[in-house]
Amino acid sequence: MASGVSFWERIGFRSGGGVGDAGWGRTLGVAIVSLIYFLPVLFIIFTAFKPQELALSVPPTLSPTSFFGLIPDQFVFSPTLENFGSVFSRVMTAGGAPEATGFDRFFFNSIVIATVSVLLALVLGTLASYGFSRYPLKGNDTYLFIILTTRMLPAIVVVIPIILMFRAVGLAGSYTGIILLYTAFNLAFTIWMMKSFFDELSTDVEDAARIDGSSETKVFLKICLPQVVAGLAATFVFGLILTWNEFLFALLLTGPDTRTVPVAMNQAVASGGRGTDWTLLAAIETLFLIPVFLVTFFLQDHLLRGVTFGTVKK
Amino acid sequence: MGQVENTALSLANVSKAYGRVRALENLSFNVAEGRFFVLFGPSSVGKTTTLRTIAGLVTPDRGRVEIFGKDWTNQPIAGRGVSMVFQSFALYPHLTVYQNFAYPLVEEKVAKSEIDRRVRETAAMLRLDKKIDRKPNTLSGGEQQRVALGRSLIRRPKILLLDEPLTNLDAKLRHDMRAELKRLHRQFGLTIVYATPDELEALSMGEEIAVMRDGAIVQIGSPDELYEAPRDLYVAGKIGSPHMNIIQGRLAADGAALETSIGALPFARRLQTAQAGEAALVGIRPNDIRFAGGGERGLSASIAMLEPLGDVTVVSVETGGQTLRMVLPESAAAGLQPGQPAAVVLDPAKFHIFRASSGQVIA
Repeated sequence: MASGVSFWERIGFRSGGGVGDAGWGRTLGVAIVSLIYFLPVLFIIFTAFKPQELALSVPPTLSPTSFFGLIPDQFVFSPTLENFGSVFSRVMTAGGAPEATGFDRFFFNSIVIATVSVLLALVLGTLASYGFSRYPLKGNDTYLFIILTTRMLPAIVVVIPIILMFRAVGLAGSYTGIILLYTAFNLAFTIWMMKSFFDELSTDVEDAARIDGSSETKVFLKICLPQVVAGLAATFVFGLILTWNEFLFALLLTGPDTRTVPVAMNQAVASGGRGTDWTLLAAIETLFLIPVFLVTFFLQDHLLRGVTFGTVKK
Repeated sequence: MGQVENTALSLANVSKAYGRVRALENLSFNVAEGRFFVLFGPSSVGKTTTLRTIAGLVTPDRGRVEIFGKDWTNQPIAGRGVSMVFQSFALYPHLTVYQNFAYPLVEEKVAKSEIDRRVRETAAMLRLDKKIDRKPNTLSGGEQQRVALGRSLIRRPKILLLDEPLTNLDAKLRHDMRAELKRLHRQFGLTIVYATPDELEALSMGEEIAVMRDGAIVQIGSPDELYEAPRDLYVAGKIGSPHMNIIQGRLAADGAALETSIGALPFARRLQTAQAGEAALVGIRPNDIRFAGGGERGLSASIAMLEPLGDVTVVSVETGGQTLRMVLPESAAAGLQPGQPAAVVLDPAKFHIFRASSGQVIA
């Protein structure tokens, strides 16, 4: 958030109409393509606000407002917040009173598990990648390759031994277990990402700091780390999204108390035998999008620099 | 000079190898306090490794590094009183000019008010006071260079190491910075070790120059000494512009002349340590060749090319398949035409005679 970009500019309202050098034609083209990409997400968000009976209506209702009569009535739905209430509390048995669904707990679990494991991986992975980059071992590349192979296997291949190991040491169903597992998985990605950032830094700058009297610790903390902030942000966001969306391990290795949203989401709509409650699912998904959206939004400046890093020769 | 000089820096038999590559080979030299000492040689000859060894970034395999009489060979970097300007400037890219200047003082735990005073003083001295809140990437090359210089000077180092500091600047700036560096050297009485591949920089700034080749020092001397008495062909070829003319031949039986394709070149003295018939080379500076005067016998030659350089003209003449270059005042070269015959005289007193096998000068 270093730059002086205002909130409005940040979300796309730039001075001069925001068209810049591209011109209206291209801007319009990009806008249309973006809209096509965004359509499924938009559809889910709209569905979250629809009454249950309109979820699968044909033709689909597409707009919460008729725009002063511009849109024909059959495409318009009247928005409701009922679905969001149902996420946290709803009637489970016919004729019964509304019960708490535990989703507040599941959201809390998702946030805690994803944040802690990604931050942990970021700290460990950044230290490790600095080591790999600055103090290469004999067979450095081999170690890096082995680390990468941990991400090459599909999760389904390794899930059985991991379940058995977690059961044996009593980690199954605990926060510690799932956090450690996600940390291990994020670590490989973090090490590879951050190593490429450290490799790009000029070692002369570090030597200059050594001559200026800095210890190795200070060279890392005061010279190297501030130069890779964009990389840290990009790695953090990518890791967070991967972990936030992870389903398989969460399904098999979390207990009722540590369940994350993707697993709970599945169970919420699949149980009861009354068919899938699409509007409820859409409401959960909409809520589920918000944290990722917020994090990406606040880190977007760093993120862009992070993903384009090293692509332009200085 | 005259008074007793303190030795600021002394390297004795320093060697360093990276795997099979020998970076430094038995390097020995002393630098007196307050001296402007130049390490001169083409790229990858070991200049940077030498500077890094002095700074402590490189630990030598063998040999000794002394700074003001204290052995620092295997000691840490801090405390040497040495600062360095890198070829790449190596500014801290995430810090402002102010913070770049302050960095070494913060690491020395200097008081905040004192840091502020010295940062502003340094910025003013280097005409950077208006740029003090800027990040390095928003500065021009010359400004970045001055920031790098300021950051090294602000600690008041005992020895300043400069690694090709002007290489990344354009020609005009390079000229200005040469003058600026000389001024700073005088003003602070700093001991400077300056690495450069540029002959002009070496000769114009260096009080003492070490010519380097393959990680070793070939000759150390003042600019005049290197110019007047190069110890071997390598130094002779590196110092002096245009380059020294080199004529191949064999020594005459009496050791007092060289038999060459352009005839016998008699020496001004008899060589003591050479054998008759030995392959040898005569070097002569372009300034030491002139046209024959009235009645004087010279080598018959023809003018091949004229290169006017303003106040002087470099004239290439051809004689017996050998091209010789001479430097004449612009007025003396006026009216010369390529192809025109001429007679040239080589001053035997100015001959540099080298052994062909080793390239060493023959006594």
